[in-house]
Amino acid sequence: MSFLELRKVTKFYGEGAAQVRAIEDVELSVDRGALVAVMGPSGSGKSTLLTIAGSLEEPTSGEVLIEGAPLSKMSRNDKARLRRRTIGYVFQDFNLLAGLTAVENVSLPLELDGVSAKRAYATGMAALEELGLADLATRYPDELSGGERQRASIARAVVGERHLLLADEPSGALDSTNGEAVMRMIHAACKRGVAAVVVTHDAHLASWADRVVFLRDGRVVDQTSPPPSPESLLAPAPEP
Amino acid sequence: MSVRHALLALLSAGPKYGFQLRQEFEASTGDVWPLNVGQVYSTLQRLEHAGHIESDDSAADSPQKSFRITPEGEKELDHWLRTPPDMTSPPRDQLVIKVLSALVVPGIDVRDVIQVHRRYLVELMQMWTRLKEDEAEFDLTLALVVDAELFRLDSVIRWLDAAGGRLQRAVIDPPIPSTVPLLRRRIVVRR
Amino acid sequence: MSTTLERPPTGALSGNGGAPARRAMLRWAWRLFRREWRQQLLIVALVVVAVGATVLGATVATNTPPPANAGFGTAQDLATFQGPNPKLPAQTAALRHRFGRVEVIEDEVMTVPGSIDTYDLRAQDPHGPFGQPMLALVAGHYPTGPGQVAVTDGVASDFRLKIGDLWHKPGGTPRRVVGIVENPQSLLDEFALVVPGQVKAPTQVTLLFDAGGVSAASIGPNVETPSMVASSNSLNPETIVLALDTLGMLLIGLVAVGGFTVLAQRRLRSIGMVGALGATDKHIRLVVRANGVVAGVVGTLVGAALGLVVWLAYRPRIESSAHHVIGAFALPWVVVAVAMVLAVVATSLAAARPAHTVTRIPIVAALSGRPAPPKQVHRSALPGLVFLVVAFFLLSYSGSGSSAKPRTPELVLGLVALIPAVILLSPFCLTTLARLGRRAPISVRLALRDLARYRARSGSALAAVSLGVLIAVIIAVVAAARYGNVLDYAGPNLAANQVVIYTPNGGQGPGPGTAPSSSQLRSMTKAADGIAASLGSPDIVQLESTSASLNHDASGRNWSGPIYVATPSLLAAFGIRVSQIDPTADILTMRPGLAGTSKMQLVYGKYFNGPTFGPGNGPGPGSGPRSFPCPKASCLANPVIQTLSALPSGTSAPNTVITEHAIKEFHLRDSVSLSGWLIQTRGPLTASQIYNTRQAAAASGMGIETKNSQPSSSEIINWATVFGIILALGILAMIVGLLRSETAGDLRTLTATGASSSTRRALTAATAGALGLVGAVLGTVAGYVGVIGYIRSNSLNGGISALGNVPVENLLIIILGIPLIAAAGAWLFAGREPPAMARQPLE
Repeated sequence: MSFLELRKVTKFYGEGAAQVRAIEDVELSVDRGALVAVMGPSGSGKSTLLTIAGSLEEPTSGEVLIEGAPLSKMSRNDKARLRRRTIGYVFQDFNLLAGLTAVENVSLPLELDGVSAKRAYATGMAALEELGLADLATRYPDELSGGERQRASIARAVVGERHLLLADEPSGALDSTNGEAVMRMIHAACKRGVAAVVVTHDAHLASWADRVVFLRDGRVVDQTSPPPSPESLLAPAPEP
Repeated sequence: MSVRHALLALLSAGPKYGFQLRQEFEASTGDVWPLNVGQVYSTLQRLEHAGHIESDDSAADSPQKSFRITPEGEKELDHWLRTPPDMTSPPRDQLVIKVLSALVVPGIDVRDVIQVHRRYLVELMQMWTRLKEDEAEFDLTLALVVDAELFRLDSVIRWLDAAGGRLQRAVIDPPIPSTVPLLRRRIVVRR
Repeated sequence: MSTTLERPPTGALSGNGGAPARRAMLRWAWRLFRREWRQQLLIVALVVVAVGATVLGATVATNTPPPANAGFGTAQDLATFQGPNPKLPAQTAALRHRFGRVEVIEDEVMTVPGSIDTYDLRAQDPHGPFGQPMLALVAGHYPTGPGQVAVTDGVASDFRLKIGDLWHKPGGTPRRVVGIVENPQSLLDEFALVVPGQVKAPTQVTLLFDAGGVSAASIGPNVETPSMVASSNSLNPETIVLALDTLGMLLIGLVAVGGFTVLAQRRLRSIGMVGALGATDKHIRLVVRANGVVAGVVGTLVGAALGLVVWLAYRPRIESSAHHVIGAFALPWVVVAVAMVLAVVATSLAAARPAHTVTRIPIVAALSGRPAPPKQVHRSALPGLVFLVVAFFLLSYSGSGSSAKPRTPELVLGLVALIPAVILLSPFCLTTLARLGRRAPISVRLALRDLARYRARSGSALAAVSLGVLIAVIIAVVAAARYGNVLDYAGPNLAANQVVIYTPNGGQGPGPGTAPSSSQLRSMTKAADGIAASLGSPDIVQLESTSASLNHDASGRNWSGPIYVATPSLLAAFGIRVSQIDPTADILTMRPGLAGTSKMQLVYGKYFNGPTFGPGNGPGPGSGPRSFPCPKASCLANPVIQTLSALPSGTSAPNTVITEHAIKEFHLRDSVSLSGWLIQTRGPLTASQIYNTRQAAAASGMGIETKNSQPSSSEIINWATVFGIILALGILAMIVGLLRSETAGDLRTLTATGASSSTRRALTAATAGALGLVGAVLGTVAGYVGVIGYIRSNSLNGGISALGNVPVENLLIIILGIPLIAAAGAWLFAGREPPAMARQPLE
């Protein structure tokens, strides 16, 4: 069973003449352990797809299922709980809350879910350690570099055994080395069973995915087939 | 890439045997550029003819034959390293020609053509990335080569993206058939 | 929560995080407050000032009047006997028999030789059951035997005494000075303390006892209780301070609504992020509201501490001016507590609306920092107008009308209704303003449009400014109308250089009471002359009164203030020549408008029921004839009144006098009696002169009256104008500062598109000026509507003609001054690039 499933999801903004179709009849399913990238130019509805999949917005029509449970049947509070327990977000440039240290940021979803501060702190520390960020734990966001902030936000997105990671241009503001580090972390999380959706217009990031879905004008137009073994690249090259 | 200059580069570090050169060449290109022995020796012969290298023993072609770089060879290597590759000629890339051709074929959505190529390129990139994911962290030269390939593919994808965007705008806002747009199109193509 | 579970059990109801979630949110709110305290400095500063002022004001106000138990000690009842009284021992015994413990304090008034000062020789047991609060030891010890005496500082300096000296004076008995004492409840009380039984001829004997609920009057006519003394103060100062504090907190609340809205706006992305992390609406509201509470609590604590510190620093001075010892912590704790709670409630309520608004913004919009587009629904002016009309009618019926008592509930409700009227009308005014400014230059247009678009914050700002103006206008107009009322005259009783000495019954008025004997009169005249001499003034006028008074038909209200007889010496004292006087005039007055007032009548004879004379008396009982015109026998309808501006204007001064002509015509000569003297000095009287005069007059059994602290009408109006302008400008400065911090991004964009600093200045100036103008106009209009309603029902003339002398200049200063000063100030201060522009706060 797929972990995240979008069934004929459509989202319109505005009304009447000013109506804008953000996405239309999008079908998408992501299994646990899979890393799916959604590619498309700006305005193709990538971000809308992500916010709808993450219960931040409601589709105009269609259904989103997370672990088989339809979001349309959930109350606001249910969705908030789902975000605390299952869904982790990584945004492009703004992720950590000023005023909270890195570890406090990471453990915040746990605390919001009623885990005691002490236990949440320990879990948050463990998550940071796992990602090699233990040194940064007590720093405030404004004392971290962009790459460090982004990595801490990935730690927060997967802390507490959350299994759906949604990332919107997670390395948008970073240089390619830091961007690669971020993707490497997301990839590693998928190896541990997280289902991840990365929305990007950057083929470098998308190429980390197991599957790339192409979006154009709000519709899924194409997707990659499972990649062949990388060994095929090592066949003798033609004469330069 | 020029095999000649790559061999010169290897020799600039010190005299080497032929088989050794082949091994080092493959290693230095991240094992992604296999070279057969014949290729190595024919290239070395050409270099020797040009006076860029010299061998200790001109008697016979043998694997034990050792080569070293001459001052002329060093000069040539230096010149080559500092000379930018020729990028001034207009693109004669097959892909570009295919997309341009698709424009004039009736009944074909160019954007679909573009998407087919884009998907293929992304799939290629996925494969390169897999390679990097497995071992690139430990192998600097492989990482550099894979990056070069990824960026090359990425640049093509970007061109496809840009072409798609341009086409989309053209669909929404079709050019009025007059002399001025024609002129503009010619400039665009030439560029 | 179970510690063995990673998470609380899953369930639809249990899933809101409980206490750990709230704790995490509160921690975040606190960190945010610490990070962004500068943005909240304005709100916190307002709360600090308000709470500090309330603490100080309430403490000063409650501690300035003598303590309620002054003279009582811890006793509940006090009986006084004047002079030697043979029945005293029997009465004391009777009281002791009836109520148990009785403490006797005997006083003999002694004069300081060569001085008009007096002191008491007092016999009081320092360890008596009731009198201890009235006695405190400054140095040495209390007298323990007949040969010992303890004196107050004043007595010690008058007689150059120090502890250990042998003092021969009081009663001729030599006594050893063993201590310096004081009466903490009255530092003006100068006495020499001896052991009981040492006062041989007491001038006054005071018995202190506890009647335990038995009505004082039933015990005897000379018995008093503290409540009887206190009841003369009708308005409790604590009530006034609390009312002012409540009003202040309302203003702060309004300002804070704008402030917290801006703050929530700044934090929009963070709030969206928390929402994306799974915080519920409740959690998010908690963060915003917690911020309000924190701001309130911080402001309150700092304000209370500041008020306390200022109070402690100020206490010695107020002790010396209030003439009684005040404990360092004699604070009205209830008022302080209420003020503190009010401050926290005001700020937390102010945060409630932004808290609610922010949860209605979709998370996606919040994350991108886009506020929800302002609702463009047309805000009707109707609800505000309805409140205005309601306020008008309530105030119209608040007055006494034909009944004697003003209806306080209507008055209060009417004033309260003005507040929602102003608040509800503010957004409408902003919309109208933006519509009017459509053709203005870009910076003005932009400023006005922003004000109209973001009415959530600018509307409350405008309401706050308007309320500030409203208060000032009401004070100014009511004061003008009130002071302009020729019948119900108000204002300072006397000028600063005037003192009136009243004969013993002068204060109660002449009439059937025992007239002083001629020998008494002579001695009093001598004493008055002595006082005039000691004040260095030859200008002493004898004041005579007669049993006649001036009445007005309307509502049976009586005249306030005495009517003295226009004796030639009195007229001469004010430079009025006999030739100036209309020979037919019955009444001479300086009150403008009195001459033109209809339905006046001069009553005398049987209708005369004791007019009001002397200090501290309000309008008299009003038992004049009920009909107009009144019966001829004892009343003259429409007396001839002549206005003479040379007469003095004080309410207790002879501002209205009855002519010799009227005295003669109505045969009042017999009732003319001496009431006192008016002494005018060259310069204002000093406190010590007043004190000495009072002592000297008291020595002869007379009382004095000097300028009281009541301000004159122009003082009140100017003060109200300045107060209103400062209040409105203060609020404006804060609001414009807040709005500017929010529009910093817009300003940056403007600068990027080539706007110069003058555009920036113009934008800010237009914002401030527009808010100031609309606030001033709205406040003035609302204030006027309320005042017209009030005057309609309270004016004695039954009309709004009392508004004829409105302080137009002051109103113009408010309406034009506030926007001009605001715009000019904004222009000046907007030139500098705010640091917020140079460095965008990190998110």
